[in-house]
Amino acid sequence: MNYDVLVIGGGIAGMESSLTLGDMGYKVLLVEKEASIGGKMVLLSKVFPTLDCASCISTPKMASTAHHPNITVSTSSEIDEIINQDNGGFLVRLNRKSTYVNSAACTGCGECEAACTVAKADPFNFDLVAHRAIHIPFPQAVPKKAVMIREGTSPCSFTCPAGVKAHGYVSLVRRGKYEEAFHLHMEDAPLPGSLSRACYAPCEEVCTRGELEGSVPIRAIKRFMVDRYYEKHPNPEYGPPEKIKNKKVAVVGSGPGGLSAAYHLARRGYSTTVFESAPKAGGMLRYGIPAYRLPKDIVDRDIKNIIALGVSIKTESPIVSLKSLKDQGFDAIFLALGTMEGFKMGIEGEDLVGVTDCMTFLKQTSSSDKVDLRGKTVMVIGGGNAAIDPARMAIRLGASNVIIQYRRSRTEMPAHDWEVSAALEEGVELQVLKNPKRFIGSNNHLEAVESLAMRLGEPDESGRRRPIPIDASEQIFPVDLVILAIGLKPSTSPFANELKLNRNGTIQVNEETLQTSQSSVFAGGDAVTGPSMIVNAIGHGKRAAFYIDRLLKGESLEGIIFDNRLPATEASSVFSRYQSDDGNNGNGHGHRQPLPIVGMEIPHKSLSKRPPAKKRERPVAERIRSMVEVEIPFSEEEARYSANRCLDCGICSECHECVRACPANAIDFSLRDEEQTVEVKSVIISTGFNLFDARLKPTYGYGKFPNVITAMQMDRILAPTRPYNDVIRPSDGKAPDNIAYVLCTGSRDNSIGNPICSRVCCMYSIKQAQLIMGALPLADVTIYYIDIRAFGKGYDEFYEQAKGMGIYFVKGRVAQINEKDNGNLSLHYEDIEGDGGLKQAEHDLVILSTGFSPNIDYMHMFKNSHLESDPQAYIREIDEDIHPGKTSIDGVFVAGAASAPRDIPDSIIHSGAAVAQTAAYIERIRAKS
Amino acid sequence: MTDRRIGVYICYCGGNISDYVEVEKVREAICHDSGVVVAKTTMFACSDAAQEEMIEDIKTDKLDGLVVASCSPKLHLFTFRAMAVRAGLNPYQYVQVNLREQDSWAHQHDMENATEKGIRLVRAGIAKCTLTKPLETMRIETTPKVLIIGAGVAGLRAALTLSDMGLSVFVIEKESEIGGWTGKFGRMFSTDNKGSDLISTLYNDAKQRDNIKIFTSAELVEKGGNVGDFSVVIQVREKEKISLNVGTIIVATGFDSYRPSEGEFGYGYDGIVTLPDFKQLLDNSKGSLIFRGRKIKDIAYIYCVGSRQSPEMENPNLYCSRYCCTAAAHTSIGVYEKNENIHQYHLYRDMRTYGKYELLFTDALNNGSIFMKYADDYEPKVSKAGDKIRITVKDELTQGEEFEIEVDLLVLVTGMVPRENDKLIDILKLPIGRDGFFNEIHPKLRPVETVIDGVFIAGASQGPKTLAESVASSMAAVAKSAALLMKGYVDLEPLIAKIDIDRCIWCDECTKACPYNAIERISVDGKEVARAIPALCKGGGACVPLCPQNAIDVEGYTDGQITAMIDSLIKGIN
Repeated sequence: MNYDVLVIGGGIAGMESSLTLGDMGYKVLLVEKEASIGGKMVLLSKVFPTLDCASCISTPKMASTAHHPNITVSTSSEIDEIINQDNGGFLVRLNRKSTYVNSAACTGCGECEAACTVAKADPFNFDLVAHRAIHIPFPQAVPKKAVMIREGTSPCSFTCPAGVKAHGYVSLVRRGKYEEAFHLHMEDAPLPGSLSRACYAPCEEVCTRGELEGSVPIRAIKRFMVDRYYEKHPNPEYGPPEKIKNKKVAVVGSGPGGLSAAYHLARRGYSTTVFESAPKAGGMLRYGIPAYRLPKDIVDRDIKNIIALGVSIKTESPIVSLKSLKDQGFDAIFLALGTMEGFKMGIEGEDLVGVTDCMTFLKQTSSSDKVDLRGKTVMVIGGGNAAIDPARMAIRLGASNVIIQYRRSRTEMPAHDWEVSAALEEGVELQVLKNPKRFIGSNNHLEAVESLAMRLGEPDESGRRRPIPIDASEQIFPVDLVILAIGLKPSTSPFANELKLNRNGTIQVNEETLQTSQSSVFAGGDAVTGPSMIVNAIGHGKRAAFYIDRLLKGESLEGIIFDNRLPATEASSVFSRYQSDDGNNGNGHGHRQPLPIVGMEIPHKSLSKRPPAKKRERPVAERIRSMVEVEIPFSEEEARYSANRCLDCGICSECHECVRACPANAIDFSLRDEEQTVEVKSVIISTGFNLFDARLKPTYGYGKFPNVITAMQMDRILAPTRPYNDVIRPSDGKAPDNIAYVLCTGSRDNSIGNPICSRVCCMYSIKQAQLIMGALPLADVTIYYIDIRAFGKGYDEFYEQAKGMGIYFVKGRVAQINEKDNGNLSLHYEDIEGDGGLKQAEHDLVILSTGFSPNIDYMHMFKNSHLESDPQAYIREIDEDIHPGKTSIDGVFVAGAASAPRDIPDSIIHSGAAVAQTAAYIERIRAKS
Repeated sequence: MTDRRIGVYICYCGGNISDYVEVEKVREAICHDSGVVVAKTTMFACSDAAQEEMIEDIKTDKLDGLVVASCSPKLHLFTFRAMAVRAGLNPYQYVQVNLREQDSWAHQHDMENATEKGIRLVRAGIAKCTLTKPLETMRIETTPKVLIIGAGVAGLRAALTLSDMGLSVFVIEKESEIGGWTGKFGRMFSTDNKGSDLISTLYNDAKQRDNIKIFTSAELVEKGGNVGDFSVVIQVREKEKISLNVGTIIVATGFDSYRPSEGEFGYGYDGIVTLPDFKQLLDNSKGSLIFRGRKIKDIAYIYCVGSRQSPEMENPNLYCSRYCCTAAAHTSIGVYEKNENIHQYHLYRDMRTYGKYELLFTDALNNGSIFMKYADDYEPKVSKAGDKIRITVKDELTQGEEFEIEVDLLVLVTGMVPRENDKLIDILKLPIGRDGFFNEIHPKLRPVETVIDGVFIAGASQGPKTLAESVASSMAAVAKSAALLMKGYVDLEPLIAKIDIDRCIWCDECTKACPYNAIERISVDGKEVARAIPALCKGGGACVPLCPQNAIDVEGYTDGQITAMIDSLIKGIN
C-alpha cells in the first residue's frame, strides 16, 4: 500500500496536518503510537485563553480524521525504520502492535473492562487512578476500541509445563471469582485437585514476588479454589460434547499424562478410551503419592472431570502391543505408560522377602489397608522424593524405626528440603554417607542390611559430589523391611519391537509433537522423560491431544507451534513499574500510587512489606496416626490476601474474563504484532513533546509527597472526564483551600539541563488557577513565577483577568518543598518583589508547572539519512525563518512541538506550514518523475 | 401530530452540561413527544462512538430528522451534518440545540430551572426539526488562482509556496516597494539572517515564476462573487484598473510599529528613539555606533512601550506585542558585538523571551546587559540631563531601590499595532478583534481562517508575530487556500432566501435591503418578480421582514419553523 504522506503522531499537529493534506487530495497514513489519536490536547480540561473545553474542540478533529476518505489511521503502531529512496520518496516499515482485540469486531461497549480482574495505573489520567488491563483508553477515544495491555506472559504462567494460567486464576481468586478460577484451570489441565496438593509448583519458584519477601503461594491458592468448587459441585457441571467425531483414540495409562490427553481429546469430540492395567485409574496419583499428601477422594473427583466428557476408562486392561489397539479400530494412540518399575541395586540379597521397591510398597499400601508395620524397623534406600514418601508412609503404618539411608550427604539429596524436614519431624532417621553392600537374610527372609560408609569425591556429571565407598567400613543394621527408592524406569519393554526406544527404555519422540516412530502413535509423560513432575505429564497430554487432533483432521504437524505464549516478563520491568528510583514509592510512570478501582488494589510502596501468609500444617502427633492431610488449607481470607500480593507481572493475567464477557467475540489472545511496509512520497513528524519528569527536581518532593502533583494531573482533575469528580488533594481527599503553583519546573533551569522556556506553563497555570477559582471559590491560589510570559493573542488580557479574580502572583523561584505532618507543604522561596528575603509559605496542595522535554522517538527512525537535532534535542528546523517545518532531510518535515515548545495555536499554524512545504515537495517530485 | 421520525440525543458533554442540567430528566420529558422515535442521552455526542450509534439508529429506525442537544452549533454543526450524510440522512434535516452555552453554562447555580429551560430548548429544536425538509447544496467550480494582499515577507513567501503547488498568484502591494518591514532590517532574530537579504531572495525567485504576478502601488477596490470564485478589481497607481477572478484571498497586510505620543517616556527629546529606528541605526552603522554625531557609550531600553497599557488610558493597547522582548535582547547583542564597552540597561516588566528565544535573553545577560524590572504601576521617569537622558527607575529586583541612569540613547521598545486599513476592511468585510487586529474564526483551531469563506489572514495582520511566525502563518493560510482550490469545487449552503413568485409584486424593497447584491429582477410568465441569486445570497435574511407581501422565507429558518419554535418555548407560560 502506498501513500502520498506519512504523518507520525496523531496529536493536534498530526491531525491538523493530515486533515489539510487530505482535503488537498493527498493520501495520508497517520501513525499513532498510543491506542487513540488526540494526543495530549484531548486530555486537557479547558484551554487558554478562550477557556474552550479541550475535549469538545478535539473530538470533532479526531472524528473527522478517522472518517476522512483520504486518511488512514493506524493506532498502536510504531515506526521501525524509514529509508530514503532514489525517487525522492521513502520506504517505511511500521510495527502494528497487537491489542489482542479484533478491532473490526469490537464495538467499544466496555463489557471487557468491567470484567477484567487486573488493575493498573491509568496513563491517560497520569496515574491518578487505576484502570484495567483491558480498557477503552478514555471516553472520547478514536478509535473507540478496547485494548489489552500485555507485557509478556507472567513468569508463573510461562513456567507451568501444562500451560496453566497461574496468574489468571490467582487474579480471579483475588476478585472472589472462585468458580471462574476453577474453569480457567480446566481450560488447560483437568486434574486441579491433585495438582493443588501434589504439584511441585515450579510457578512459585519463578514468582517475581519471591525476589521480595516470598513468592505468592500459588499452589495453596489453587487448593483453596478447588476445594471450594468441589465442595459445591461433587459432580461435573457438564457432559460430553454435543458433536462426537467419528475417530477413536486409545490412551494407554491412566496416570496424569494419559488422563490429560484423554480429557483434551474428548473435549475435541474424539471418542477416547483409556486402558489401565491397575485396578483403579490414576497411576502415580493413585498409587505413587500417599494419601496424607493427596487424598484419594480428590483423585476420584478429578477423574470425574474426565469421565464426564464420555471418556471410557478400562481398568485391569494391560496393553501389550500397539497392533492389538489398531486392530480394535483406534485411529491414534497415546502412550502414557509412566515409570512404575523400580531399579534394582544389583547386590546380594535383593530377592529376599522383605526387600521391595518404593512403587510396589506405595501401591500396596495405597490399595489395601492391611499393611501393618507396627513394631517393625524399616529402611528406605535413596535420597530423592521417592524415598521420602515410603518413609513417611512407614511411620504412619506404625513402624517403630524408619531409616533413610543415602549414600551422599544431605546437601546432595534430590528430595525437596521441606519434604526431608517433614520426614525428620515425623521421626524418620536419616543416615547419610552410607550405602547397602548386601541384604542379609535367612529362609529367604530379610533380617539385616550390611552397609558401607561413604565419602564424597569429585563432582560427577550431575554436578554432585561422587560417593566413594570407604574400605572396611561395613556395618550391619537389623531391619524388617527394606524399600529401594533408587530410581524408576518405564515399562516400555512390550513395545520394543514396534517403537524406537532410548537406551534407558524411554520412548523416542519428536520433542515438539510427541509423535513416535509410528506416525499415529504419540507418547508422553515419564515414559518419555524419565521420572518427572505430574504437571509435566499433564502438559504432555495436552500437547499430544493438540497434535493428534491435527493428525486426525488431516492437517500438517510441521512448523505448527503448540505453545504460543508470549515471552516471560522480566522481574526488573515489573519492579520498575512499581518503584521509583529511590525504591520506595511511585510506580513505573514516575508518579504516584493511583487510587484503586473499588475492590482492586495495585501493589505499591508497601511492596516489600506484605509477608506471605503462613502455611499451616497439622501437628506431628496428629498426622502420624492416620492418613489425614498434613497441610491445612487457606481460609478465604488467607487465599485472597495471598492473591492480592500478586504483582501482575505480565499485566494481563489471561484470566479470560474478557473473552467470556465480550458480546462480539472480539478478543483474541493469539493475535500478534504485525509488520507493514509502505511507500510514501513525504513524511511529517508530529510526535509532540514529553512532559518534564518532575522527579528530576528532587527538592520539590514529587513522588515523595502525595500533595505535590504536576499540572497535567491537575488538568485531569479539572477536566470534564475527571477522575475524582471533585477537586481534592491526593493524600486525604480534602478539598484544598490554599494552592500553590511552582512555575518553571524543569524549564529555564540549567541544573536539569534545560535552559529554554517551555512557553505554555505560565498560561496553563493561569488557566487552571481561574478554573480552580470557579470550582473552589474560597480557595487561595498563589502562582510563584519568574516572568509571566503571556505573549500570545489575548494572553496578557487573560493574565490581567486572573489578577483581577484575586489570584496571587509572587515573583520568586521556589528552592525547596518540605512536607508537614498534616500533609501540607512548606515552600521556601525568594520574595523578589517584596523585601527580597528568603521566605516560607504553607500550602495544602502544590502543583508543579512542569515544562516540555523533547520527544526523541524520531532519533532511531531514519536508517540511511540523518535527521538533525537542535542543542535541546528537538528536531532541528534548518531555516525556520523562510522554511518553517523543513528538516535536514529533504522531504521530511516537522510539525508542532516536535521541533520546539509550542502552544496549540502555534502548533496548528506550524502544521499548516509543514503541510504547505509537504505539498510543494510532492508536486516537485511528481513533476520530476 | 406529525408523521416524522425524529431521533433526539442529549449530551452530557462530560460534565459541562450534566453538572448543571439534569440531562436524564430532559430526556424523560421529551421522549414521548410527537415525532420522537428515539431519545437518548450520551456522554459525548461528538465522540466517534456516539456518532456511530446515531448512524446505526438513523438506519435501523429509519429516522428522517435528527436533533442533537449539545453545544453551540458554531462548534459542532458541521460535525453532525457530516455524520448525517454518512448515515444517509439529508444534513439539513439535522437541528442542533445549544444546551451548553445557552443553558448549562448560563445557569450554573439553578439546576431546576436550567433543566426546565433545557426541556423547552429541546422541544423548540424538535419543533424546528419537524418542519425541516431535504435541501441540496450548490456545487460550483473553483478558480485555481489566489490574490495575496501585501508583499512583505509573509505575502511573498505565500506566493512562492502557492506557485510551487501549481496555483497562480497575484500579489498586490500598496507601497511602491515590496518587502514590508522585513525588507528594511538587517540581522533579525533568531537565525541572524538579514531581513533585506531574505526579501531579495524571495523576490528574485518570485520574479522568475510565470504563475506569480506582483503589482506595487496597487490596492483592492472591489470584491464580488463567492468563495472559490471571487471577482476582484485592483487599482494600480492612479489610472489602471485590473479585473481578476480568484478562488481565495490571503490578507497579509502586516502591522504598524507603535508610534509613541509626544512626551511618552520623553519621546520627542533628542536621544530617544523607537526600537525599529534604533535597529536601522545599528544595522546601517559602520564602525562605532554614532547617533547624531555623538558616540554612544550608554544605552537604555524601556520595554512595553505601547503594549500592555493601563486600562485607564484612552484607547489603550492592552495586549502584549510578543516580539519586542526578544527583539530588544537580540538588538542589544548586536550592540555588544559592535562594542563590548557600551553599557546597556534594560528596563522591563516581564521578560517574555519565550521558548528557545530564552537563549537570546541569556546571551544578553551574559554580555553584561543590566536588567531592571519596573512595576506595572510605576513606570520609569525620563528627563533631559544636558546632553544625556536621565531615567529614574524603581528596580523590583533590588527590593524596589530607586536608580538614576544617564544614557546617551534611550530606546523605546515599541510594540506592534494594527495597520490602518479601513478601505480594505470595508471591501472584504474583515472582522476585527478587540485588539484591532484581524480576527480569526477560532484562535486555537482555525487561526488563519475568517468568517468570510475563502478569505484568509496571514502574518502580523492577525496579531503580533515574529518573522518566523509570520512566515509560518502565511504558509498555513496557503495550505488552507490550497485545500479549497485543489479540490476543484466548493459546495455552497442552500440556506438561502426563497421568493414566492405568486406573492411577489416586485416592489424592489428586498434589493435595497440586501448587502450582497444577491437579488435580481426576472420575468416569469410575463410577471416581474424578484429572485435570489443562489451563488450570492448568504441567507442573511435582511430582506425577509421588509417584504410587504411576506413572500420571502429563508430556507432552514422559515417563518413556520421560527413560529413553531417560539410556540414550544413559551408553551404553558402565562
